[in-house]
Order: sequence, then C-alpha cells, then structure tokens
Amino acid sequence: MIPNSGDCVILEGIAKRFTKDDHVLENISLKVSKGEFITFIGPSGCGKSTLLRLIAGLLKPSEGIIHINGKTPELADSDLAFVFQDANLLPWRKSIANVALPLLLRGVPKLEREAKARMMLSLVGLNNAENKYPWQLSGGMKMRVSIARALSISPKILLLDEPFGALDEISRDHLNEDLLKIREKDLFTTFFVTHSVAEALFLSTRVIVLSRNPGRIHTTIDVPFSYPRKPDLRESPEFLSLLAQTTRALRAVL
Amino acid sequence: MKKITSLLFPIVSGVALIAIWYGIIILFKIPIYVLPTPGQIITAAWTERHAMLASALLTGQGAVLGFTCAVVGGFLLSMIMAFSLRLKKSLYPYILVLQMTPVIILAPIFVLWLGQGLPSIVAITFMICFFPIVASTTSGFMSVDKNLLEVFKMCHATKLQEIRYLRIPSAMPYFLTGVKIAGTLAPIGAITGDFLAGSAQNGVGGIGFMAITYFSQLQTASLYASGLVACLLGFGFVGSISLLHWVLLHKWHDSLIKKE
Repeated sequence: MIPNSGDCVILEGIAKRFTKDDHVLENISLKVSKGEFITFIGPSGCGKSTLLRLIAGLLKPSEGIIHINGKTPELADSDLAFVFQDANLLPWRKSIANVALPLLLRGVPKLEREAKARMMLSLVGLNNAENKYPWQLSGGMKMRVSIARALSISPKILLLDEPFGALDEISRDHLNEDLLKIREKDLFTTFFVTHSVAEALFLSTRVIVLSRNPGRIHTTIDVPFSYPRKPDLRESPEFLSLLAQTTRALRAVL
Repeated sequence: MKKITSLLFPIVSGVALIAIWYGIIILFKIPIYVLPTPGQIITAAWTERHAMLASALLTGQGAVLGFTCAVVGGFLLSMIMAFSLRLKKSLYPYILVLQMTPVIILAPIFVLWLGQGLPSIVAITFMICFFPIVASTTSGFMSVDKNLLEVFKMCHATKLQEIRYLRIPSAMPYFLTGVKIAGTLAPIGAITGDFLAGSAQNGVGGIGFMAITYFSQLQTASLYASGLVACLLGFGFVGSISLLHWVLLHKWHDSLIKKE
C-alpha cells in the first residue's frame, strides 16, 4: 500500500475561466496523499490538461486555492516536474544535454549534471542514446528522454499530460510498465492525464472522471490493485470489470 | 555514376555556350571592343593579373568589413528588438525607411561624410547587407516554439538563460539564412560602393573603380575580365558562408540532415 504521511496536494474549490463566460473548470476539490498516482480522465475539453497546468503553476486559478506540501505552486516549484504531451526536446542538444537541461538551469556543475543525466537515461532504458540528437530517436525514445529530463531534478511531484497519446499501443504499454518501475524506486506523487481508460487503471491509485462544460469531478474510482503491478494484470477479471465500470462512468459524461 | 552525369550536364552546356559565343563573333564579325571572345578575356585577365588581384583584394576588404559590421550589428539589433516589443515598434519602421532609400542616393551622402574610399564603401556594403539579416533574425527570435518556452518556464529559467539556451539557438537557422542572403549581396555592395564612392589609392582601385577605367579606355576584354573576377569573389564569399552554415547546423537542423 501507499505510505500515507498526510496530504501532499490539496485543491480547494478550484475554478478556471479563460474569458468571462468560458467556465473551463468549476468547484474542483481534491486531497492527494504523498505517493498517490492520480489520473484525470474525461472527454475532450473537460479541462483535464488545464487542471494539470494549474497544479504545475503554469496557470493561475480564477478561484480557489492550491496547496502543494503546504505551499503555493509557484513556491513549491522545485518539487514539481512536468512531462508535456510532446517530448519537447531541444533539437540542437544531444539526449544527455536535454536531460541535463533543468540541472543546467539550476546551476549544477557540468560533471555532476552529466553524471545525473546519464543515470536518468539508464533508468528509462536509454543507456546507448546519450549522444544522439532528437531527430535520431523514435517517438517512444523521445518520450523516454523527456521523462528522464523531468526526473533529473528528483521531483516530489511528477505531472504528465497525455505523455503517451501519440505512441502505438505496444510502446505505450511498455512505457506504462517502466513508469511504474521507476516510481517503485522513488515514490513521487504522480498526476497523469490520459484518454485511455486501460492506461488510467493500470497506472493509478485513483482515477478521477471529469465532466465537461464546465469541468467538474464526476466520479472518483479507487483502484484496489497493489504494486508492483504485472503486465498480465490487464487481463485479470477484476481489472476488466473495473474497466467496464470506468468506461460506463466515462460514457455518462460524454 | 549519378555524380558523373550531374557534373556532365553543366560541362556540356558550358562548352555549348562558349561555342555559340565564338560562332556569333565569327559569323557577325563583331569587333573586340563590343564583344571579346572568352579567350581574349582570359588573356586580358592574365596580363592584368596583378592589377586584378590588387583590386579584388581591395573590394574583398570592403565587402568583408561591411558584411561583418552588418552581421554583428544586425544580430544585436534583432536581439534587442526581440525582447522589447515597444523598441521593435519604435525602430522597425525607420529601418524600413533606410532600406527603401536607394543606395544611389545614400552613396553621395556617405562620400560627404566619410570621403571617397574605403570608409564609404564599407558603409554602402553595410547598408545593403544589414536589412536581410535584421529581418530574418528578428523573425527567428520571435518564432520560438511555445512548448519549449513552457519547458523553460517549468524549470524557472531566468530571462538571460532563456535567451542563451533557447532563443539564440532557435534563431540560429533564421540568422544564418539572413547571413547567406547578405553574403551574396556583400561583394555586389562593395563593387557598387567602388563604383559610386571609390578612389584609386596608390594607383589601385576596387573592381568597380577598375571597371569604370577600363570602360572609359574601351578595354572591353579587361572590362569583361573584371566581371569574371567579381564573380569569383562572390562565389568565394558565398562558399565560405555555406561552409559556416553547415558547420553550425549540420548536426541537428532539418535542412541539413540527410535522412535515408
């Protein structure tokens, strides 16, 4: 089970409007304990990416308060890392230099940041790609570099915005399994956004279904399976029945 | 095999062109002061080789100096304008005004300020090279990938880090495109400068100045030869810039990556 050392992220009555009448999110309240894996799922336009950006501090809420380890997102930034929908690598930097970028921007000395970057690359299974440029990598490899970059600062909270949406199913399953393995070692709290119910259930401790116009929390589904989770969990009857239940909840908000 | 044929075509067309050239001169009995043969031009270039080399060096010097000032100045100005929209709005219209004013009119003004000779030539070359660099580099600084900006925001990069590690590398391909265009213009700019504001220091003038002299003496073959020298100078210039472009970008930029 998850070690529960108190609430880690708290959202209180969050609302977000980009224009006056455009209610993207409304009345989102949520308590997340340290080490949890929360996935937001919902129809397009339900504001799940916006919610992730609010937690990351990339956007400011129109109403409500966000606490991250007792601080606002802007002040908690050193604990946060974000993995974007696209790998967003700098095309002129080799893998290792891309992974080391956040450390470079923090002023970590060259040898130290390269050692850390090398460690992170091997963690995501890319030991041989450190001197490759992004154009030499496949989509899945780029995403691995992007995850390694996020992990380079040893974040306490990792936010991932549909990171595997563009990948084929096999790469996606592999990356899901690897993400859980990495998380075993370093139990960061995770927020994840996806369109895939199976992915959400395989990864998460809790799946939160959002409705749209405006985005509200519709249902919360607790996922009871213990970690480490094996790939064949996906074929178990319990998993499949939860999959059906979640799909029904999702259909209700469409 | 492919390489041989790709070399063969320009050689064949070149030989054909020269044959037609000779044919026209023989057929219509055209005098040398109107149209010399390629042979006569080469001979003229060879007999005048010392003067030609000296003036090519002089023009080359004007081109390099004017071009370098334009590259450095253009890059810095673009960077400044990229970081302050207000400054860009205040400056850009006047940069356009300068660009729209013909060099023919600017040249005498430069001569009044700087006198005949190298300084005026450099100024004219600068004026011709400056705009393409500013225009393309500015758009390079402005069109940074929004997603990459968010990565930097998430890392809490300072403005200076953003410039150094994101904006300058992003703008590099645009900047180098501007530099390439400016590079083709620089020798032409320097020769124009010669033509309009040149002087013969110690009996040596630039290529433009020399062309006027040959023309006035009706040394048509030498006039053509000075054209040939100008052409070679231009190729040398563009060649070195292409090399620089390749060195800076070949590892990562789409335009230079050979994909199988």
